[in-house]
Formats: sequence, structure tokens, C-alpha cells
Amino acid sequence: MAVYDLEEQEQIDNLKAWWQQHGNLITWTVSALAVAVVAWQGWNWYQGQQAAQASALFGALQQAMVKEDTQRVRTIAGELTEKFGSTAYAPMGTLMAAKVSFESGDAKTARAQLAWVAAHGKDELRDVAHLRLAGVMLDEQAYDEALKELAHKPGPALAAAYAELKGDVLVAQGKQDEARAAYKEALEAQEKDSKDGTGEAGRSPVSQLLHQKLDALGGAA
Amino acid sequence: MFDAVRNNKRIVQVFLLLITVPFAMWGLDSYMNGDGGAAQVARVGDAKITLNQFQQAMREQQDRMRSQFPGVDAKLLDSPAIRESVLNGLVDQQLLLQEVNKQRLGVSVAALQEMIANIPAFQEDGKFSQKRYEEALRSQGMSPVGFEAQLRRDMALQALIGAVGESAFVPRTVVDRVVALQVESRQVQESLISAQALKAGVKLEAGELQKFYDENQARFTLPEQVKVEYLVLSQKNLEAKVSDAEVKAWYEEHKAQYALPEERRASHILLSTDSGDKAKIKAEAEALLAQLQKNPGQFAELAKKRSQDPGSAAKGGDLGFFARGMMVKPFEDAAFGLKEGELSGLVETDFGFHIIKVTGVKAAQPKPFAEVKGEIEADLKRQSAARQFAEAAEGFTNMVYEQSDSLKPAAEHYKLSLQQSGWLTRQGGAAAGVLNHPKLMEALFSDEVIKNGRNTAALEVSPGTLVAARLLEHKPSTLRPFDAVKAEIENQLKEAKAMRAAVEQGEGKLAALKSGKQEGVSWGGSQNVSRMAPGKLDSPALAAVFQVDAGKLPGFAGVELPGVGYALYKVNKVEAGQVDPALAQALGQQLSSIAARAQVEAYMASLRQRYKVEINKAALATKE
Repeated sequence: MAVYDLEEQEQIDNLKAWWQQHGNLITWTVSALAVAVVAWQGWNWYQGQQAAQASALFGALQQAMVKEDTQRVRTIAGELTEKFGSTAYAPMGTLMAAKVSFESGDAKTARAQLAWVAAHGKDELRDVAHLRLAGVMLDEQAYDEALKELAHKPGPALAAAYAELKGDVLVAQGKQDEARAAYKEALEAQEKDSKDGTGEAGRSPVSQLLHQKLDALGGAA
Repeated sequence: MFDAVRNNKRIVQVFLLLITVPFAMWGLDSYMNGDGGAAQVARVGDAKITLNQFQQAMREQQDRMRSQFPGVDAKLLDSPAIRESVLNGLVDQQLLLQEVNKQRLGVSVAALQEMIANIPAFQEDGKFSQKRYEEALRSQGMSPVGFEAQLRRDMALQALIGAVGESAFVPRTVVDRVVALQVESRQVQESLISAQALKAGVKLEAGELQKFYDENQARFTLPEQVKVEYLVLSQKNLEAKVSDAEVKAWYEEHKAQYALPEERRASHILLSTDSGDKAKIKAEAEALLAQLQKNPGQFAELAKKRSQDPGSAAKGGDLGFFARGMMVKPFEDAAFGLKEGELSGLVETDFGFHIIKVTGVKAAQPKPFAEVKGEIEADLKRQSAARQFAEAAEGFTNMVYEQSDSLKPAAEHYKLSLQQSGWLTRQGGAAAGVLNHPKLMEALFSDEVIKNGRNTAALEVSPGTLVAARLLEHKPSTLRPFDAVKAEIENQLKEAKAMRAAVEQGEGKLAALKSGKQEGVSWGGSQNVSRMAPGKLDSPALAAVFQVDAGKLPGFAGVELPGVGYALYKVNKVEAGQVDPALAQALGQQLSSIAARAQVEAYMASLRQRYKVEINKAALATKE
């Protein structure tokens, strides 16, 4: 064993005393950190794993859509929501499946699918789901339910689309004055975010349609 | 020496700890590339788009536009609108990328493989070929790893956008209603108040013409014009002389380049290794070779009997003449290494074992001089002209600069004819011919040229063409005298007043009509119009007709038709139109794609808000 001079001996003693006092705390902190890091990595790995499987299903769904295999689209969408409901692929796939259901005339399934996205999706996808759900309800003449969906407040970018559909529902209900107000609100929102030119030619297709719908209600000008 | 450290141990420790923290958290990278790369053009969430990335994207976009519209104006390619749209594209991509990462939208290996396998460029005979894949990527300067990473990313972006866009639909109720609006038919009559008819009655006040002239002088000002003389030094016009001796010398030196290559004729016997045991076949071939070495005369006979090359066997193994590069490498090496009549040993190729006999040699034949003389002469002339041009360009540029008060010395020295232009304006245009180049036009209207009477610099207006010019005559911008434009102004003012009168009259009549007084308006014949089939109505008139409330008929509308007058419309009847199912279906699809686009746009706008996009306007305007 080497011989330490006095100063060094003193330092070693200091160190020992310090460790006596703080050692436990440090050991615990380091262990807790290590556990946290491992848990975090594990969680990431699990999420990545889930996402990879969900992505394969999503790919299969896209293909089934191209092949117009309605049944398969529905099955895959069901699997996505049941097994991979926490991944972003679930609302994405379900939105796609809802279109297929709607177009094949299966309004009931379309409603269920869109309602799932409205409840479990986040941000824009949720907003889009409420909008489309209201559209399906409009076709089913469930006007009050449709208006309830549209009462959900979307991000500002979708406000125009919400107001327009609200106008469509109100027209179907025969409430012309309220419909007119809704279309005007849609036009305002639309023209605010897109820098439309003035006059017929400068209008985007969306605002052209809005103008037509508004004109058709008479006394709008 | 380290006393300072020892005495201030605590301070040093704290300091060391402090500098460790940033390294641990952000790595060395943030020190190395802090802002060594480039200024940022935009910040998207946590990421930034650097000037380099932006400029790269600009170049790509410009290349695309150039290949789509050859001859497009360079200024247009660098316009603020294009810069903005390129940057927006980058920002959108970055936004999607961040959302993809946040949502963990990975793409599975299987999906990636399937995607790649289905790309036609990587297929051979309708099937994916690994070789083809690697070759195709290499020709684009990409590695499979890089390509796959990029494709994976793109697939994830596509999936995200597709989930919003491809899933859009429009309720049938809405489609039916929009279709009904398009085919709704209205029976209308028109009454036109023509401005032309009112023009004769318009009176102008005294002094009105003069006043208009004084207030709108810019309209009556002729632009500044110049007439110039100029010299064109063009590579095309340079007389390049090449002597026959030079051509001959070139020919002698580069004879090999102008020769027909050596050709050989050979016969062979092939024992295919496609099926069966290679060693056994080799032994067979060796036996055959030994037999041939004993009896060379049997070659044709044995070839007929034993060769497994169906093409040549029947001809006694004869392959005809071939040059280098036409046969597989080992075969070629053997065939070109033998003398005429000589027999090879066993030659192994991918096909099997060959025994080769060379039956003819055509040595390389130089092409006769007479045959290639023209070609060489043209080549040499081109080279010489380019050299002369390069030399002349420098001297020419210096001469027009140094003797800047005349172009004559340069004209004489380079034997160029001094040409004159017509009157030119700053805009140039086709009339300016070879002078129509933005830099040259700018120079022609500069003070140097106009006030100081100097030559312009020699400017390269197109590759191999230099132009220098100087002023002959200059017309400053001039105001046309009042008398010359008086009639023009009078006509203009009368038309404007007549138009105003027509609109006023029309609006008055419309108000009267709406309040129930129908007299005093003579209506034209009635016609049926719909949004789909507007007949003679132009779009503002059509919009006015369809704004009439169908609940209160007859209804009235009026619209100003610029340059014509004011049109009144009376809507007598509104009828639902016939719905053609094919039309309804087409419109339904159109509506759904409009909805898809609008929703994708809304999605992107929403991402922009969520991730906070900042654009550095100053950096965006930076030119390369």
C-alpha cells in the first residue's frame, strides 16, 4: 500500500465522511435514473413496434381501397382500432375506411367509424371526423344530431368548412335565414384565409360554390 | 505552475461541470455547426430551413421549369412569387415530417419492399430485379440505403396527407343540391341601355379636355428612345481557314480514329455447362481437343456433330466476321490472340467450354483520306473558330473599352460591319433583334452611353456572340402636344360619360322596376339560361340573374357591362332542370376533389399554427 502524506490522508478521510453522509442518496438517485432510462427506452421500443405493425396494416388497407374490397377495408380498420388504437394509424385508417363505407351506402358503419375517430383522434383528424360525421347525418336527415356535431369547435383552418356544412343542414331543415347567415360566415372565413382575388374569375372553387349556394337563397346580394 | 488551479479547486470544478452540461445534452454538433452553415430562411417548429437548402430547392424548381418551358425568362424563374412558393413547399414538407415523427408514423420493411418491387424502373420482364435496382440508383448517384430512407419518409408523408385527402367525401344531399343549382333554368328577357347610343348626346364642358390632358400627362408621353450603331462579333461568322496540309497532318496523326477496326472470323465447338457435371464436361472437351489437335481437318465435321451452339453447329461452327466488343470477353481474348488457322486450347465462358479456330483475319483498315477529309476539315474549322473567337473576344472587349468614343477601330481591326438599329425603347422587344438583352438595353439607356457618348461594354448576348454598341441619336421622353391628342381625349371622355349615363339610367330603371313600375322598358325576346348553359350571358350578368329571388317573380336584375352599357334582366320563370345521371356523377367527383383539396389545405394551415412557422423575409430575398 502506498504511503500518503498527511494532506492526502486528510482528503481521503473527508471523502469517506462525505460518502457516509451522501452515499445512500446518490446510489438511489443513480438507480432511479437508470430505471427511468430503461423504462423510457422500453416504452419507445414498444411504441415503435406497435407503429410498425400498424403501418403494415395501414398499407394493406390502402391496397384494399384501391381494389375496392369493401369488406377487407372494414376488417382491417376494425383490427387497427382494436389492437393499435393508440397509434396514429388507427384514426388515419378509420377515416379512409369511413369513406369506403359511406360510398358503398353503409351509413351505419360510416357513422360508427367516424364517431370512433371523433372520440379517439387528435387535433385535425378529430376535427375532420366531426365534420364528416355531420355530413353522413345530413344524408340520414338526422339534422339536429348533425348540428350538434358541428357545434364542436374546430381549429380556425376548418371553420369555413364547418360553417358551410352547417348552412347545408339548415337549408335541408328549411331554415333559410339561418342558413344564409351560416354561408356568409363560411365565406368570410374562407376569404380570410385564402387570398382570393375579387370577381368571379379570381375566386377559388370553394368560394364559387358558396356564392352559388348563397345566391340560391335569394335576397342575398 | 498549477497553483492557480489548486487554490481555486472549487471554482474550476464548477466551471468544468458547467461546460460539460451542454456537451452532454446537445453534443459537439451545436458547437461545430452553430451558424457555420448558413443563415436560416425559415424556422418550422424546432427545425430550420437553411439558405443552402432553399437555394438547392430553387435550383431544382428552376431546372424543372426550364425543361418544361424552354426559353422561359430568367427573371420569371427568380421572381418573388416563385421564391415564396418554393419556400412554402419546403415548409410544408418540414411540417409533415415533424408531424410524422411526432405521431411515429413509421413504414414497415414489408411495405417498403413491396413499394420498391412495384416501381417499373426497377423491373426486368415485369419482375423486380436487384441488379436493375442497384444500377438505376447508381445512375442517379444514390445508394440503396439513402434511397430507401428517402422513400420511407416520402411514404409516411403520403400516408398522412392521404388520410386527410383521399378519405374526403361530400354528403349526397349536398351533391344533389349543387347539381340542381347547375341545371336550374331561368327564363329571362334582356333590355340593354347602350352607352354607344348615348354618346352622341354627351356634352363636354369647356376646358375639360385641357384639364384631362394636364392631369394625365404620363399617358400622353412617348417613351425615351435611342438609335444606335453596333458591332456583332460572332463565332459563327469567323472565317476559319484550314489548309489541306493541316488536314492531312491531322489525319496522319489520328489515323486510328478514322479506321475500320480489325475483324476476325472464327469457328467454334461449344460444350454447354448448363446441365450436368462441369468436371465431366471438361474432360469430354479435353478429349475432343486432343482429337482435333491430331486431326485439325475434322473441325467442321466434329462441330456439326458435337457443338451445342445451335446457331453455328450446322455451319461447321462458323461464326462469321466479328470485331472486338461483340463476343464475351474470354472468347474475344482467345479469338484475337490466335493466328489465322490456329486452334485454341479450352476456353471457358459462361456458356461452357469452347474450342476456337480462327479462319480469317481482316486487319484494321484506315479509312481513305478522301472519305474523311470533309469531316476533319469541318472539325478543325470549328476548333479554330472557337480559338479565334476566344482570342478575338478579349481584344475586342478591350478595344471597345479603351477607345470608347468610337466603334470604328474595332470594326476595322476585326473586319466587322457597323450596323444601325431603328428606334428602340427601353423595353427592347423583338424589334431590337440581337440587341434585345436586358443588360445591353440597360447599358444603352445609361448616362455613360447617352450623356457621355461612350461605347457600351462588349456583352455576351448569347454564347459565342459579343455585342458592343454606341449611341447615334437620342430622343428623350416627350409629351405629345395637346392638339395631337385632343381628338383622342374627347372620344375617351365622351365614352366614359356615356357609360356613366347608361349606368345611372339603368340603375334608376331597375329601382323603378323593383318597386313595381314596369313601363318605359322594352324587353327583348325571352331565353332560357342555366349555370351550365349560360347562352349569351357573360358571367357577371349570369350571376346577377341567379341572384334574383325565385320566390318573387317576375324578378329584376341589372348589371354594368364594361364598354357596352347597362343591361337589365327580367326573370319570368324559374324551373328545376333535368338532371343527367352522368353529369351528376361527374359533378359529385369534382365536388369531392374540391373538398379533399380544401381539407388538405386546412390541414396544412393548421399544422402551420401548431408548429409555429417563422419566415425570415430578409434571408428569403437573398440572391445567390
